Amino acid sequence: MSGGNLRARGVAFFASLIAAAFLFAGTAAHAQKPIVVGASISETGPLAVDAAYHLKGIQLGVADANAHGGWLGRKLELKYYDDQSNPGTAVRLYTRLITEDKVDLLVGPYSSGISQAVAPLLNKYERPTPMPGASLPAIFSAGNKWAFQLLPPATGYIDGMLPLMKSHGAHKVAILQAQLSFTLACGQARLDQAKTLGMDVVYSTTYAMPPPDFSSIALAIKSANPDGVVVCSYYPDAVGLAQALHRIGYAPKFFAETIGPAEDQFISALGPITNRIISNTSWWPSLKTHDNAGFIARYKAMFHEDPDYHAAATYAAVQVLGAAVKATKSLDPAKLQAWIASHEVETVQGMFKSGPTGLSMGFEQYMFQIQSGKRLLVWPAKDEQAKAQVPYTGQ
Amino acid sequence: MIVLQLVVNGVLLGGTYILLAQGLNLVFGVMGIVNLAHGSIITFVGVFTYWFVTQTDLSPLLLLPIVFVVALAVGGVLQRLLLEPLAKLGNRRELLSLMVTFGLSYVIVETAINCFGSQYVSLPNLQATWSVAGLAINEALVVAGVLGAVISGCLHVWLHYTASGKALLATSQNATGAVTCGIDVRRMRGISFAIGSALAAIAGVLLILILPLSAPTADTLTILSFVIVALGGLGDYKGAVFAGLLLGLVQSAVGYYLGGDVEVVVPYLLLIGFMVMRPQGLGQAAR
Repeated sequence: MSGGNLRARGVAFFASLIAAAFLFAGTAAHAQKPIVVGASISETGPLAVDAAYHLKGIQLGVADANAHGGWLGRKLELKYYDDQSNPGTAVRLYTRLITEDKVDLLVGPYSSGISQAVAPLLNKYERPTPMPGASLPAIFSAGNKWAFQLLPPATGYIDGMLPLMKSHGAHKVAILQAQLSFTLACGQARLDQAKTLGMDVVYSTTYAMPPPDFSSIALAIKSANPDGVVVCSYYPDAVGLAQALHRIGYAPKFFAETIGPAEDQFISALGPITNRIISNTSWWPSLKTHDNAGFIARYKAMFHEDPDYHAAATYAAVQVLGAAVKATKSLDPAKLQAWIASHEVETVQGMFKSGPTGLSMGFEQYMFQIQSGKRLLVWPAKDEQAKAQVPYTGQ
Repeated sequence: MIVLQLVVNGVLLGGTYILLAQGLNLVFGVMGIVNLAHGSIITFVGVFTYWFVTQTDLSPLLLLPIVFVVALAVGGVLQRLLLEPLAKLGNRRELLSLMVTFGLSYVIVETAINCFGSQYVSLPNLQATWSVAGLAINEALVVAGVLGAVISGCLHVWLHYTASGKALLATSQNATGAVTCGIDVRRMRGISFAIGSALAAIAGVLLILILPLSAPTADTLTILSFVIVALGGLGDYKGAVFAGLLLGLVQSAVGYYLGGDVEVVVPYLLLIGFMVMRPQGLGQAAR
């Protein structure tokens, strides 16, 4: 063997070593690159109170996934922007997340109105996205393929209220709706339900958001003298209307509002007048859903407060994404879409199951009542923690 | 009885509107600028009041004298640092002052969001409802309405019966004439912005007792305040009183008979109507 050959072999050996080192370094760097999950959050604007829980659910989902080694051997990283409760801003932000930030996965925004604006974008860019803030069924109509509903449909919100009223002999109802996609869908469903149940709608109105001064509306409700008031609301209008009814000294026998009463601030903002207000939820601490107790414990440890159903919905969204990524061993949008559309996933909110157009088929609705400062499930009977207390006294 | 209750509600709501608008009105009257940071001062103080009460469990009314004095001082300093330098710029002053107060509103709102969060907050204080001759009267609305009337009364007395008030009034009517009379116009501008800020701060403490507030709703309050000021006749503080009461009464009736959708457009419909029929405003019309 000549010296020249030896030198040549030596050079080739070292070159191979260097190439291997570069290759390994490249692979290692790739392995370390996090999976980026993107979302827009209504950190400001009229939806900010509820959207704060929306964000925390995602943050906990990401933290939990990372605590278990991440997905596909990669850590997760959350990237989000404030959409200011504005659908137009959210559309710009999701475009930025997809085209500029090139995030790997997306979670939908908070509220039906904003989700409705964002959904066409997901179909255009073909990004499979769980939508934990979208209860409006119209978002998931024919033509939708990439957005998946992670809440029960809006038409089912507070749908136990009118039957509950009827079971107590009440038949006159006032129905109010904020002028937003979800609340209008919810309100129309309750108006239709009242008709089906043969109940009299003695007062009905819609109102703009941010909410107006409710004193005149409260007076109009008092004049109509319903047995029950059902409000399809968000947080600020739920507070405003409860205050306004109290200010004119009127307490209907039944008083139900969506969304607002689920938030901790609702009781501290209004005090004792919240007693016996009824609201709805798609998740509850006492439910025996998959890992529910663990979810609550980890949420409390991370945020030092109790979770609400918004947080459970977004946590479930991350669970669905995680299940799809692990099952397909891929971040390929088409593979993930096909898997999510055809599989059930056990989540803290119950069983996720998608209908043909992404509409939620598995989640259930519940009603709770504030009783002496505590929220207790009162409907349906199989899950109730207490019987509904009647009448609402306004104090 | 319903009509009487609507009138009571309208007057109390009007009192709140007067409280909202008088600070903006004073600044416009004397300085000739629309303070776009007006609503942000209200919401900043409102969410600060929420934070203060939840932290200390003390009455929010204790804050009234404190925020008045602090806002007076801060308003005076801000005027001297940010707005007074614009006074020498002639015609460009109005546009630049809009830009400066617009920027200031962002700084105040973002500061409030970073310090106290961006959520809607409200307080359960002063929520007693009294029944008087079959009418329901709420404590918080009465306090806001009465304070609105007292502040307007104090403004009237100060502007018409004190030397400094007369000097301010003279400046608002004719700045050049005021200078020839030996009035320190620069000082008057500082005083008006300081008092305007203090009145906005008072409105913030009381508004949080009436409505859920969040820092980012500042723009809505600035626009509403401006509509009341414009309805009253820009810079006319008596006109703002009439405008506040008119708006409260009309909104109260419209909300009752036509619902919440129409109620929120009432201020703007009234403004359009006045701009077409009586552009000088309600104050001039009432004289």
